[in-house]
Amino acid sequence: MSIVRINVGPVHPSTHGVIRLVVDVDGDTVVNIEPHIGMLHRGVEKLAETRMYMQIPPYTEKLDYMAPMSYDEAYVATVEAAMNITVSERAQYVRVILLELQRIASHLLSVGFFCNDLGQMFTGFMWAFKDRDIILDLLQEAAGSRMFYVNMRLGGLREDLPADFEDHVLQTMNYMEKRIPEYVNYLEKNPVFIERTKGVGVLTREDAKQLGVTGPVLRASGVNYDVRRNNPYYVYSKLQFTPKVLQEGDNFARYKVRMLEIQESIRLIRSAIKLLPEGDAKGLPIKLRSPNPVNRISIVNRELPRGECMMYLVADPQKPYRLSIRSPNFINLAAINHLAKGGRFADLFSTLGSLDLVMGCVDR
Amino acid sequence: MVEENENNSAEFMDAKKEMDKLVYESLKDQEIKPNAVFAKLSELTKAFPLTKGIVNWSRKNSLWPMQFGLACCAVELMDFGAARIDAERKGYLLFRGTPRQCDVMIVAGWVTKSMVPEVKRLYEQMSKPRYVVAFGECATCGGPWWESYNIIKGIDEVLPVDVFVAGCPPRPENLFAALMKLQKKVGGSIED
Repeated sequence: MSIVRINVGPVHPSTHGVIRLVVDVDGDTVVNIEPHIGMLHRGVEKLAETRMYMQIPPYTEKLDYMAPMSYDEAYVATVEAAMNITVSERAQYVRVILLELQRIASHLLSVGFFCNDLGQMFTGFMWAFKDRDIILDLLQEAAGSRMFYVNMRLGGLREDLPADFEDHVLQTMNYMEKRIPEYVNYLEKNPVFIERTKGVGVLTREDAKQLGVTGPVLRASGVNYDVRRNNPYYVYSKLQFTPKVLQEGDNFARYKVRMLEIQESIRLIRSAIKLLPEGDAKGLPIKLRSPNPVNRISIVNRELPRGECMMYLVADPQKPYRLSIRSPNFINLAAINHLAKGGRFADLFSTLGSLDLVMGCVDR
Repeated sequence: MVEENENNSAEFMDAKKEMDKLVYESLKDQEIKPNAVFAKLSELTKAFPLTKGIVNWSRKNSLWPMQFGLACCAVELMDFGAARIDAERKGYLLFRGTPRQCDVMIVAGWVTKSMVPEVKRLYEQMSKPRYVVAFGECATCGGPWWESYNIIKGIDEVLPVDVFVAGCPPRPENLFAALMKLQKKVGGSIED
């Protein structure tokens, strides 16, 4: 049978972002996939060279718009490394709480979109958005905004946590803990969900290492690597964090790792609130002149919800000379040809959904 | 010979016109008489001016938005359709996958130069009357990326915009307010 070329996009069916896939199919079997990226490119790295240090967080936040707080923190941590600023202990705990809340919101979204990708399983989508809104209300309480926070300052946060915030978080965590079994019940007993995810898009342990994929995609393939454990930052080592690892490496394992990570995040937040010390979490306010950096080159890696992000900063006085970002999504996208080749055309979207890409981060 | 060639090219130019004329005339013969079921709404309102109110009323209460997200604002756009806000209770039916079924295009996110032809094409595929909502700062004026080399500063450089929504990103409630304003415009209670 002759090979037919099908164009998918540039508007991706479930709006992870704008991507165009040129797919060669033989009958119903995918022969080759060529992703075309750059539809959202706006030159973040170049714009960063023209801004002062604390003017950049609004730009880095919009890289991964499903988890803006994480990128906010990753950038500010890089600048802190360049300026040799230490973060106060209370601020470290508060940052961990906020980051883990953001991780729960992001993973919920990814599960919801995954349901959407599998063909209009809209219940999962609606549930995910409902629960994400509850988490966003908490973040709004702490940071003052719904989606883009710009909450991190050098050495701390914009404001300390509001009164009663800890109680609200604990209440929400109790609620989330009840919700997780409902998701599991709904999805893992659903024959359609099982049929379209188990054994589809298998990534073996060796291939995962070779392709350099990160985050839940890597951990679903049986590689026990998480920056929070391997290169612990803030108080993750005190909270006894353990990465969640599964061996199968298929779409179902990738979904399951995210579900388990939500539970792990709930546990982390609870123990962080239990250990939360008194003190001041406020950082340096944004002024016209910031402190000058001490180190010329600083590299910081962080575990974002979608994988390991690395920021490389070459510092000049008052503004960066060069800011380079290693985006986890870009590298996970590179695996799509390997994953979906040889499978059915309809399974391509299941696989793409399980990678949980954000195209804003791929294109930069 | 040269003259003939020139004549030929002139004839060829005319041929296109003639072809158009032929097509137009053939269609003229087949023109459908105003019919209560299959008529265009514009013909109906021309024939019976009193129906204009009914047509506007029905149009404004079934605005169908297109499932078309570009960047961050698309997440709030989906929240708009999800459980908490529930867009369907006001007649903005569940987001459609094809532009041919849609009335409203909500441009959510920054528009890069490589995306402009696609946005234009989607707009042209929508059936008339069609409306555009610029959702968020990037679609309104370029937003934080206004200095970037790859961004157009506002979708109004490309498409005629009916309602602008401010915010980065605007809350889903804000989009609700914008669409209610658009309803008023479609219903005829606001003049542009």
